[in-house]
Amino acid sequence: MNKRVTLIALLLIMVAIAAISAKVLSRDRALTHPLEGQLRRCSVVITAKGREAAARIKMYLPKDNERQTIYNEHLDHEGFQIEITERNVSGNRQAAWRASLLEGSRTIQYNFACHLQENRYTINPDTKVADNPYADYPHEMQVWLDPSKYIQSDSRTIRHTLWKVTGNSKNMSKVVGKIYAFVRGEVQYKSEKGSKDAAATLKALEADCGGKARLFCALSRAAGIPSRIVGGIIMDPGTKKISHVWAENYIDGQWIPFDVVNNFYAMVPANYLELYRGDVALFRHFGVDKFNYLFTIDTERARPVDHAWSLYVLPVRTHGFAHFLLLIPIGALVIAFFRTIIGVPTFGTFAPILLAAAFREISVPTGLICLFTIILTGLGLRLILDKMYILGIPRLSIILTFVVIMVLGLFVFSVRYSQDKILYFSFFPMIIMTWMIERFSVAQIEDGTFNALQTAGGTALLSAALYFIFGIPTLRHYLFAFPEILLIIMGLLLMLGRYTGYRLMELIRFQDLAKAMGRDQRKGGA
Amino acid sequence: MIGPWTLRGLGVLGMNQRNAGYILKNNPRSHYPLVDDKLKTKDLLIKHRIPTPPVYAKIERAHDLRPLLDKPDFPVDFALKPARGAEGRGIIVITGKRKGVWEKASGEKLTIDDLEYHVVNILAGLFSLGGDDDRAILEYRVKSHPAFAPLVYRGVPDVRIILYKGVPVMSMLRLPTRHSDGKANLHQGAVGAGVDMTTGVTRGGVCRNRFIDKHPDTGEPIAGLQVPYWKALLDISVRTYSIFGLGYMGIDFVVDESLGPLILELNARPGLSIQIANRQGLVPRLNVIDRWAEGHDPAEDLFVEKLGLLEQIEKAR
Repeated sequence: MNKRVTLIALLLIMVAIAAISAKVLSRDRALTHPLEGQLRRCSVVITAKGREAAARIKMYLPKDNERQTIYNEHLDHEGFQIEITERNVSGNRQAAWRASLLEGSRTIQYNFACHLQENRYTINPDTKVADNPYADYPHEMQVWLDPSKYIQSDSRTIRHTLWKVTGNSKNMSKVVGKIYAFVRGEVQYKSEKGSKDAAATLKALEADCGGKARLFCALSRAAGIPSRIVGGIIMDPGTKKISHVWAENYIDGQWIPFDVVNNFYAMVPANYLELYRGDVALFRHFGVDKFNYLFTIDTERARPVDHAWSLYVLPVRTHGFAHFLLLIPIGALVIAFFRTIIGVPTFGTFAPILLAAAFREISVPTGLICLFTIILTGLGLRLILDKMYILGIPRLSIILTFVVIMVLGLFVFSVRYSQDKILYFSFFPMIIMTWMIERFSVAQIEDGTFNALQTAGGTALLSAALYFIFGIPTLRHYLFAFPEILLIIMGLLLMLGRYTGYRLMELIRFQDLAKAMGRDQRKGGA
Repeated sequence: MIGPWTLRGLGVLGMNQRNAGYILKNNPRSHYPLVDDKLKTKDLLIKHRIPTPPVYAKIERAHDLRPLLDKPDFPVDFALKPARGAEGRGIIVITGKRKGVWEKASGEKLTIDDLEYHVVNILAGLFSLGGDDDRAILEYRVKSHPAFAPLVYRGVPDVRIILYKGVPVMSMLRLPTRHSDGKANLHQGAVGAGVDMTTGVTRGGVCRNRFIDKHPDTGEPIAGLQVPYWKALLDISVRTYSIFGLGYMGIDFVVDESLGPLILELNARPGLSIQIANRQGLVPRLNVIDRWAEGHDPAEDLFVEKLGLLEQIEKAR
């Protein structure tokens, strides 16, 4: 029996180890399409220093399109909530991180890998520039024809320059080529702090990529060609803060890229990653004192590690929930260990897991204070309800309602009396607290206060231990990359299930017995 | 602190070994309901003519209690307990009624409202295993046999016998104390006294996992007391095994002054403190029975054979 169980347990562990090694060693799992060129890995690290108030950080995330495929997206942002939205007009994908209370320096890390392709376009030499663009182009193109705050395509100087540069030409290829040659030739590149708009670029005749792209855009729009800014990162290996901006013109039913800075006419090279379309800022932040970010980029010839069935295929916004799910078996393993090897008593087997998860959301001291306040007053309430002979189920429901009122009360109290320090409970486990009040009072009546306190202490101890274990980032990363670890946990639990040795607490419990038996044996021997 | 090897050498049974090696192996899950529900246990015991405290009434609705207690011929002393209570939880013993108010052994007074609320809690499953809905039992109040008088402060002592494969293997006398509020459960503060399996005479006692020689309330020595009807208790134990089919179980007896030995309840997961009360480990004794069972079928009622093992069991180290 024991041998068979151990065998099955070892088998599970071996299968898991084999699966993990296979994943690590053979990095050529199935991809949706074959990989040519390089896989580029990028890690975006954002550091933000809070003002002990609500804070918001936004960033555009890359999307799949005909020339770029994104893999292995991975977010780590403890202390923040994330929401990922697709913008309406541009179709941009934007991540918004929120923290109800941002204290000290926090880090957001966004990792991804991407596969990029070079794309070249040709402009049909017979295509003409539209005489009446607002009528000729579909309605949704209007936004890319309209002048905007920094792309002043309706300004007189821009129109005048366009006339000087292109003359009376109506040939698309010629018009675009002349605009391109003008911006590339006449405007000097100069790295700047804060980009210029199109008009200022034209006046100064020197600008960075932003200014040059805006001028190209403005001239194109003035000529009646839908044109837009595209932002992204040049994915060459290294660490940097610089992002890049270029432009796209809508010609013959497709968007054709132009980079006047690095001289890519009607083409986009294989190291350009697109992050957003339109004249927007890559990062935005509110309620943050210090804000910094860094891109770290690596390239490799290998294919992405994960395959079609990996957890990385989950939408990024559900990664946090998947992290939590993966931690539950770890918590169960720790509890099984503490209960069968050490012999720590707890209220319920899995209550400490939920408590620990709740503590991860609010800080431990605040969490413990709230927990104790609520449970102590709840116990008082239960005593009163007992005196009034309230039936069991309504009594439990009253205590649950009371717990909800207490949580809401603490919430309002914290807003009212500490300015903008808002306590945040998303799933502070009301049911668990209600149930613990009930169990504690029954234990107290039946087994005495000492026993009840002992069990409460055991529950608190395990919750705290799990709090720290759940906080190890490496653990979360490895579990996410290799969910096969859960099989190892099952193997370990199987072995724990056949452990027939003593519990650590029993060594204390039977201490006197062992001494007395030792004495008896010596007497018997003498 | 002592090492695990010391305990192993002395043959002390630990919780994990009890669960994995004895309970899971010998107690089929399907038989648990028979011992977890006192009403089912009683039905089976009565069917097999094994004495148990008579049931006055079982209550399934709280409002049935009042008319029942109002009946002029209803006894004024009784025990009120949950059918599925674990470890003595939820038991109230009423010793009499004065001016419409019931009294517990401790002198605490209970009104009809108090009793009804307790029944409500029992029915809601407050004391039952897993919190399932339950039934309440009103039964005969056991009066302690005079032989126990020197060691009884309040309440009724009970005799726990552990039965392994139908053989009585270890026993202890459990004595309520003031601290345990008349309850005979060790974790609630009762005194446990080991009992010699061959003679039924008590050894020294244990209270809250520590050894004591004298009863904390009466001051009388715990050792040397003869448990009355000892042979009958052993006989009944052996017969009980074939009815319930649990290989490892605890039987709780009380000895009533007029009804004699009665089975109070059965336990499919008997505790380990009995070893401390007897100052001996269970493992050597269990091994004696395992060796014997290799050549015999424990399911048969081999009274002479099984009780003949007691000498050997008592000497096993």
